[in-house]
Amino acid sequence: MGDPVFNGGLDLGVLGIVAVKALIGFTFVMVGVIFMIWFERKIIADMQSRVGPDRAGKWGLLQTLADGIKLIFKEDLSPDRSDRLVYRLAPYLSVAPAFLTFTIVPIGGVFRGDDDGTLRVLGNDTFLQVADPPVGVLFLLAMSAVAVYGIMLAGWSSGSKYPLLGSVRASASMVSYEAALGLSVVAVVLLSGSLSTHEIVSSQAGSVLDWNIVRTGFVPFVVFLIAATAELNRPPFDLVEAEQEIVGGFHTEYSSIRFGMFFLAEFMNTITMSAIMVTLFLGGPDGPAPIGPPLLWSFFWFTIKLLAFLFLFVWLRAALPRFRYDQLMDLGWKQLIPLSLGWLLLLGAIQIGRDEGWNVVVVVLVGFGIAVVAAGGLLGAIRVADRRRDAFAEPLPNESAELTDAGVR
Amino acid sequence: MVDTIVFVLAALVILSGALGVILARNPVHSALMLIMTLFGVAVVFVAQEAHFLAAVQVIVYAGAIVVLFLFVIMLLGVDQADSIETEPIGGQRPAAGVVALASVGLLVLLAVRAVQVSSGARSTSSALDGEGTNLEKLARVLFTDYLFAFEATSALLVIAVVGAVVLARKPAAEDVQDRKGVGALGRTRSGSGR
Amino acid sequence: MDDYLPLVVMFVLAVGFVLLSIASSKLLAPSRPTSAKDAPYESGIVPTRDNPERFPVTFYLVAMIFIVFDIEIIFLYPWAVIYRELGAFGLVEMLVFSVAVFVAFVYLISNGALDWGPLRRSRRLDGTLDGNRTSSSTIRRIPSRTQVEGEAAPPAAREEGASREAVAAGAAVGSTSEASTSTEVPV
Repeated sequence: MGDPVFNGGLDLGVLGIVAVKALIGFTFVMVGVIFMIWFERKIIADMQSRVGPDRAGKWGLLQTLADGIKLIFKEDLSPDRSDRLVYRLAPYLSVAPAFLTFTIVPIGGVFRGDDDGTLRVLGNDTFLQVADPPVGVLFLLAMSAVAVYGIMLAGWSSGSKYPLLGSVRASASMVSYEAALGLSVVAVVLLSGSLSTHEIVSSQAGSVLDWNIVRTGFVPFVVFLIAATAELNRPPFDLVEAEQEIVGGFHTEYSSIRFGMFFLAEFMNTITMSAIMVTLFLGGPDGPAPIGPPLLWSFFWFTIKLLAFLFLFVWLRAALPRFRYDQLMDLGWKQLIPLSLGWLLLLGAIQIGRDEGWNVVVVVLVGFGIAVVAAGGLLGAIRVADRRRDAFAEPLPNESAELTDAGVR
Repeated sequence: MVDTIVFVLAALVILSGALGVILARNPVHSALMLIMTLFGVAVVFVAQEAHFLAAVQVIVYAGAIVVLFLFVIMLLGVDQADSIETEPIGGQRPAAGVVALASVGLLVLLAVRAVQVSSGARSTSSALDGEGTNLEKLARVLFTDYLFAFEATSALLVIAVVGAVVLARKPAAEDVQDRKGVGALGRTRSGSGR
Repeated sequence: MDDYLPLVVMFVLAVGFVLLSIASSKLLAPSRPTSAKDAPYESGIVPTRDNPERFPVTFYLVAMIFIVFDIEIIFLYPWAVIYRELGAFGLVEMLVFSVAVFVAFVYLISNGALDWGPLRRSRRLDGTLDGNRTSSSTIRRIPSRTQVEGEAAPPAAREEGASREAVAAGAAVGSTSEASTSTEVPV
């Protein structure tokens, strides 16, 4: 358990490796963000038949850097009704979890054959991930719990209406999707038998069929993808900063580099979530190595998978219109959570049935039977709630002015 | 050495957070201080090698329960100042005084006993037995020896949900005939974040 | 505990980065605050009303049910690590637990605790619009003065009502003369 670099106790070499790994992780995320913002703007521009950024550097590659430098030179305002202390604290609460979550992602390493993903550096074995804490993927949930505070407090402390509305929207929807996120991760843990991200990647080594996306039967992956999009507040779930409704949402009052921090955290989280998805469902850096050193191939595969998810997020943004708030909450609570809970129990039942020698067909049929009953109960409850609401809302008088004045809705 | 430093730092965080909770004037600041305290406790858990508990501490307490607190604060209005002259529950103040005195007495007693009894030796109660990681050992105990407590938790959760619904129950339909735009469960129109 | 060392290093790096950026901005950026700049942003309109101080109880209910599910999820993790060891016994255990939580969930939903949608109001449309969809039926009808007079003031809810959608919805409603439609109350 844990990174083998610590097995021999702490000495200067170990500390050096830790520091270098943390720096590499830090740089990876920073460079990734700079690239991601450019990538997103370019792809969106292409999808909308525009050119996109093309002035700063070759193909506009330095655009993000230029924007960042510009932001540093902008005046930093804090509204006079704001709660100064919390207003200044909020950017830290947003950025720190974004960096920290990335530490548990293995970005390379050979897991096939006799290799267990370790690399020998200066006489120490080490994993190619910044940290492998015993809590493993639970660290992801803990960090997304903290990230909620960054947004919630940013909005609340601004002392202004739009940020407040944005942050209350955000905190309710983020905690909702955190539940769906947690449930779909349990399915991965169920198959890998460990919380450690390293072990999770190890258990997926081999062919594509060994990846968790296949072994968990796609449903947890889809739930995770949707929940992650909502957790990131990315379109089509970006009600937190729905420009047409609440200006900039929770960061409306932020300006200068403080605003930049929120912007950065958002894209960092996108990269981190994509990396987590690669780790949990797509085998991490696992992939064939036809020629040359397998280690380099592992970096290649990790990057390719990461890019695929980044592109997917951009594509979702370009293709889908924004959800309405009630649709967002309904999707999270009434569909994703029951679905992933049921699927998880079914996966567990199938595995235990295999161990105990039960007939798989019977297990699946019984599982589906229970699922149908549960879905019936849920649908019934939704209908009861709808009926109560209808009874509660008094019918409008049948007046013509009604229809003509404010319009028929 | 490292253990001591970690413990002292965590204790400082816990205590200053706890003091902040009761001393902060703004309820949102109090909630923030509470989060700080919970993080300090999580660090202490990590120092005791109780990794899963540390994660639970952050995920459930900091991630869910304090969010609930914050929603309740926002539900009631942050700047609502209550007059301290009126007592919502009769006899609350003398009762609080008695409880506070008793607590202080207990603490003093405990401190005195601790000075007498503690020898600086390590605790004799051992860690959980068995193979595997901390989480596996915990799980083995939880789902066998403490099965009843585990299942009772589900009953507790059901009670919590029913309690929440009853507390937030919408007024009967006829009571609100005159209030326009009242949503489910008595939701009012003002500032619902939409 | 050593396993957490990289996390501490990363945390220090992250905080240092934010600190450095904000500090450099403080040094390099101008600071000429005016009362207009420091006023809450209201899209250029001078704020007239205070922030809403109190929030709907539904948020409280969401946080409450989130706690319930969070605890369920937290119990699922230890189970997921050793469920093969526990076998059928563990499965039944977890099923019983999940059923209890699920029943609570269904109870919550049936009480409308997770309803966020607009209130639905039924309204008869007979005789107010003709059923033929024409090029003009998608256009908002302006009532004559006499029609409006004598009507009570429209409910406050509609005043903020998005008359924007009216144009779009008009087409759909206009084609069903004898139907009740649902409308939303902006909350």
